[in-house]
Amino acid sequence: MNFKETDARARNGRAEALVDLYERAAYVRVQPPILQPADAFLELSGEELRRRLFLTTDANGRELCLRPDLTIPTCRLHLENNAPVPASYCYFGRVFRDRGGGAGEYLQAGIESLGREDQEAADAECLTLALDSARHFGVEKSVIRMGDVGLFSAFVAALDLSPAWRRRLLKDFNRTGTLAADLSSLKLAASAPSPHAGMLAALEGSDPAAARAFVADLLSIAGISNVGGRTVGEIAERFLEQASLGSAGGLGTGNCTALERYLSIEGDPDAALAELRALAKDSKLDLSAALERLEQRIGFMAAGGVDLSTVRFSTAFGRALDYYTGMVFELYDPRDYVKWPLVAGGRYDKLMTLLGSKTAIPAVGFAAWINELEQAGAA
Amino acid sequence: MSALVIGVPSKGRLQENAHAFFKRAGISLVQPRGGREYRGTIPEIEGAEVAYLSAAEIAGNLAQGAIHFGVTGEDLVRETMPDADKRVLLVDGLGFGFANVVVAVPQAWIDVRTMQDLDDVATAFHAKRGRRMRVATKYVNLTRAFFAKHGIADYRIVESAGATEGAPATGAAELIVDITTTGSTLAANALKVVEDGVILRSQANLVASLGANWGERERAAARALLDRIAAERVARTTREVRSRFKAADAELVAEAKGRFGALAPLGGPTSSGMLTLLCPPETVHELAIFLRQRGAETVMVAAPEYIFARENPLYETLISKIG
Repeated sequence: MNFKETDARARNGRAEALVDLYERAAYVRVQPPILQPADAFLELSGEELRRRLFLTTDANGRELCLRPDLTIPTCRLHLENNAPVPASYCYFGRVFRDRGGGAGEYLQAGIESLGREDQEAADAECLTLALDSARHFGVEKSVIRMGDVGLFSAFVAALDLSPAWRRRLLKDFNRTGTLAADLSSLKLAASAPSPHAGMLAALEGSDPAAARAFVADLLSIAGISNVGGRTVGEIAERFLEQASLGSAGGLGTGNCTALERYLSIEGDPDAALAELRALAKDSKLDLSAALERLEQRIGFMAAGGVDLSTVRFSTAFGRALDYYTGMVFELYDPRDYVKWPLVAGGRYDKLMTLLGSKTAIPAVGFAAWINELEQAGAA
Repeated sequence: MSALVIGVPSKGRLQENAHAFFKRAGISLVQPRGGREYRGTIPEIEGAEVAYLSAAEIAGNLAQGAIHFGVTGEDLVRETMPDADKRVLLVDGLGFGFANVVVAVPQAWIDVRTMQDLDDVATAFHAKRGRRMRVATKYVNLTRAFFAKHGIADYRIVESAGATEGAPATGAAELIVDITTTGSTLAANALKVVEDGVILRSQANLVASLGANWGERERAAARALLDRIAAERVARTTREVRSRFKAADAELVAEAKGRFGALAPLGGPTSSGMLTLLCPPETVHELAIFLRQRGAETVMVAAPEYIFARENPLYETLISKIG
């Protein structure tokens, strides 16, 4: 036996003990297949992921990949088994990602909690278990970075914006998590005048249904049938939407100020909550439901023993995967020796539906990066 | 066994054009057994040989450093190598094989003019249908980089080997990224190019691999090759203008330089007024008028076959890259 094997056994032993911890907390261990249909990952995570996937094809031409995480495989397993909810799962195994160099395979352990309706309590429990995982490797007092994707959705919904601007803000927030930096360019990005400007202006303010029928008629007169997967109605609707987008002159100053103020809020959760309430009051926005949930979650976190002074809540903190819907968090090495997140998790209420579940299943979970935890714990 | 290997397209219009390009530079590519041989020789340049490959293989071989030079489209170079500028040098555009890589959508999408519109449509499409808009293309890397630059996230690539422009009509994809020369194929398929959706204006290039083995023999052969190519390139864009008249002096040469971009690389006028100038084709007629106004009886203009200069910028650039 060489040193490497000894290392591997010791490592697995420690991670196995972590899974024992999850099992004692009533999470059922699952071992989803390593080989997964690539479609699920590409459809859910987008093209940016493709170059990081290890892809292969079976004899029937079906595209397969080595699992790049265990969240989607675990959720798929749950659906395949027609398992009842609530259900709690835990896992430990390899994931495969091409990070441009390096081994390409990494050890992950984690939990997924599916179907709990007491969402704020489930969020807090998930975070507590994530902190326990770090402690298991000797990392005390992890730095907790936290955001809330659902809060941003509620905020954008409360603003007086055209549907196109809402879509755009949500997409940019999800994609980069650094919308604040893009905001100045967004302000300037009022598009150049359309060649149809005159016609759009004439149609603006007219009866929407009649205008839509008019544009649909024009398209059919032109003999256009190939619309590439979009209906004539959709095209007409968005064509008319441009009228409102153009005349509104971008975002509008009031919205922009509110958005900038929202995205600059950062601090411990209680302070951030107070600032958010002040913002809602000053800008006359109804965020009460979303803020209520945030407050409850903070309460459960404190009750679960989370030291709130170690939490850096930031409204601009998001996740580049659009199935996340609520709390998102990452744990970092308090000594800043390891730069990557040690544990990453959050609430993803959209995922189960996107994977084909007939009913909506709320879900929350995290993944712990074993190598990073070891390094942070050993430092 | 030859040292320097040049990849040349193995068939079709691209091969004919490549042969014509080398021939103009006084370099003949000889296929020993007609078109069936995949290796060719170059009698004029010692230690160099030709490998006949498909255009895509040429890009791949350049990436791996398996060949030293290759004639291939910039589109294939940039698609094959996301970090192309670190791995190859585009020595020279060859003036053929022009094609643009573009984003094209159905003409019926009257609400889509710009990439920003496309971004919005893609997001709405995803939100409404729970699946992403599909882009049919063989340019996976170019598409991914271009869409990322425009902040478009809600799409999926469907790889397409041929007849990409038919994908929206058959329902295999919603839009495409493909090459177009005149746009007529796109129009025939009821597609239009997005206004700011030109990803790359491509043409055939002479490309050097930075990762190939560049020993003494390879460098010597490359110098001889690029010497001829540079001499032909300079000659192609130059006219030789000759005359003889009394009033020809240094002052007149200086004025011709300032007004017509003319040079006198062989020196100023002789005592009897013999003068040889080089100038760009565009100013030849104005220069001829000018010389006659100053007293020339006859002005002769010829297109030089080659102009060899002491300095070889093509070779110097290559050497500075490979070190």
